[in-house]
Amino acid sequence: MRSWNELETGSFFDANARERAVGMVDKGSFTELLGPLDRFMSPHLPVLGTAVEFDDGTVTGVGLIGKHPVFVISMEGKFIGGAIGEVNGAKMVGSIRLALKTAEELKAAHPDDYEERRPMVVISFETGGVRLHEANAGLLAHAEVMDAFQDCRKKLPVVSVVGSKVGCFGGMGFVAAATDVIIMNEQGRIGLTGPEVIEQEMGKEEFDASNKALVYRTTGAKHKYIIGDCNYLVEDKIGAFHAALADVAAKSMEEIEGMRRIGSLKLVQEQQGLVKLVGDMQPKDSMDLWKYYGNEDPAELPEMTTEEFLKVVKRRVRP
Amino acid sequence: MALQTLEFTFKSEATQAIAKPWSHLGVTGSGDLEVLMEKKDLGGDVKAKVITPVKGFDQVWERMLAKFVNDTGVGNVSIEINDDNATPIVVYMRLRQALAEAQAEEAE
Repeated sequence: MRSWNELETGSFFDANARERAVGMVDKGSFTELLGPLDRFMSPHLPVLGTAVEFDDGTVTGVGLIGKHPVFVISMEGKFIGGAIGEVNGAKMVGSIRLALKTAEELKAAHPDDYEERRPMVVISFETGGVRLHEANAGLLAHAEVMDAFQDCRKKLPVVSVVGSKVGCFGGMGFVAAATDVIIMNEQGRIGLTGPEVIEQEMGKEEFDASNKALVYRTTGAKHKYIIGDCNYLVEDKIGAFHAALADVAAKSMEEIEGMRRIGSLKLVQEQQGLVKLVGDMQPKDSMDLWKYYGNEDPAELPEMTTEEFLKVVKRRVRP
Repeated sequence: MALQTLEFTFKSEATQAIAKPWSHLGVTGSGDLEVLMEKKDLGGDVKAKVITPVKGFDQVWERMLAKFVNDTGVGNVSIEINDDNATPIVVYMRLRQALAEAQAEEAE
């Protein structure tokens, strides 16, 4: 594997799950839990004749950012599209529960300076959702992860990191939306039904999945950043994600709660306001919304580098 | 339908052990594979276990692995491969990369 220094300056988009996990935390601090040597693999795939992977497509482990233990869950899109089955789903849930247990232990051991040691859960999504080979177990895993998020609420931050080839779709799109903070690079995409599936079900007139510019305008990070679904838009460097995570780790739980999208009556009302706005204005393209939020020349935005974009972009102001 | 498990043992002349106790490389992606190498006292032998969905290529696997063992002179190594339809040349390349990883000093 590339060294930590190379990973920090390297592309997040091009990195595999293990490289992302190692590079997003402080140098030399990552310890993998249930790594390849443990051979914790799906029992369902062999009987179906589908290839297996030693880590079941998800790297889990713990590292440090400053004094904060960071529980990392990193999905590998090259293995069955990063889909979630029984084993990698259980690895996700187990990691979050371990973070909660660690939080309780640290609170007891360091009551005075717990805040600076407060653990964090970081999930690097690269997935289309449920692994259809083991669909019931995969769906159950989604529910258990959401449940575990609720247990973390106001105790420790759960952060989504999205910036890999497959994006974050299907049930995991819901899961990402239920986390406290979302960090993306420009290539990052979040959605529920993937573009190809929408085209297949509703027709090319509804959504042309071969039109990559349209796909990125609708599901991509710049749109999510303007609408407010994405909290941090960063350069495509693993180090940039590392820095954004350090920024989150330093915030109070109250500030972090304020970055959420869903999870309270007030937030539901805010989302309903967005639904009403879309109903009233009937936008034909994301650019209509970008213009509504004060971007005079929305067609320019997709062409800009992340740096240029961040300088000029106008975002939805949260009530 | 079910996955195939192939197991081979190779006698190695040179028996050069790997530096790390174990090492992992690659992803079981379409047309690709992952390799797990472990240093083990096998009396100089190389043991290989391949899990693959592909049927009817047992001899090709055996020859490719034998070539790898002969070309590199490794010994006392257990090799485990999870394959997803990799071509022979990809198998050989990944094995060489995995060996390089197993021998590498940890860079800064």
